[in-house]
Amino acid sequence: MTRQDFIARLRAGLRGLPPAAVADILADYETHFADGASAGRSEAEVAAALGDPDRLARELRAEAGLRRWEAERNPSAAASAVFAVLGLGAIDVLILLPILLWVFGVLLGLFIAAVALFGVGAVVMVAGPFVVQTAPALALILAGLGLVAGGACLGSLATIGSIGCTNALTWYGRLHLRLLKPALDAQGSL
Amino acid sequence: MVEAVQVQLKKGVLELCVLALLSREDTYGYEIASRLTEGIGMGEGTIYPLMRRMQSDGLVGTYLVESPSGPSRKYYRLTDFGRTRFEAQKTEWTAFSAAVDAILKNASLGGAK
Repeated sequence: MTRQDFIARLRAGLRGLPPAAVADILADYETHFADGASAGRSEAEVAAALGDPDRLARELRAEAGLRRWEAERNPSAAASAVFAVLGLGAIDVLILLPILLWVFGVLLGLFIAAVALFGVGAVVMVAGPFVVQTAPALALILAGLGLVAGGACLGSLATIGSIGCTNALTWYGRLHLRLLKPALDAQGSL
Repeated sequence: MVEAVQVQLKKGVLELCVLALLSREDTYGYEIASRLTEGIGMGEGTIYPLMRRMQSDGLVGTYLVESPSGPSRKYYRLTDFGRTRFEAQKTEWTAFSAAVDAILKNASLGGAK
């Protein structure tokens, strides 16, 4: 493999990372080739010693995704952490997928219920006293307030649940990256 | 399984070796890769993901040095945290390898009987 092939495959594997990070990583390997050349090694020798660019890219991507979630804690970082783990693409991740979808469904349901509860509470609180003549206005306002508070509470619980799940996945991804991946690759190369 | 343990052991040892190398002097990627990976039997490319991880863990810092030929080169240096980590890991490793050596020596004595 030539320097150009190696860099091209690495670049392709790193697609999706911030351009600055990609440029930084590629510069590391470009410099490595240049240093190898001044030490009298051919491009093919240096490329062989570096190892498989696809595997290096997977490792760099997964690490970057997990780091971002740890640093930012926002929904987009959570998504990139999830994709980083899925990107490792091993069999046990496929086994994990139905569980992930189920957890995602439950959390989505909770969020929808929270929004609905909040909305209904707000309507009861504001419009209730004018529409319903049979019940005292104060009771309706308090009941509406209760529903709004319940909705907010459920929303917070669902948020805490989402954060917990992403943390668990990050932990799992790390474990996978550090323990299982090298083992699988080592077996694959035998 | 044995393969997995070996790779894990090598990865852990590689980090300790990088810390050791940088505790003596600041150096750059190619130098680290060519001096360490051959003896341990890991691909030279694994140095760069490791250096990035160590950098975001705060163990090493980087700075650029102008090169007379070609682009400026990225040097790695140990941070204070890295130095502390190195001392701790070195102590741990010395105790660990002494214990393993003692067990191996006992085993070979036992085998000679």
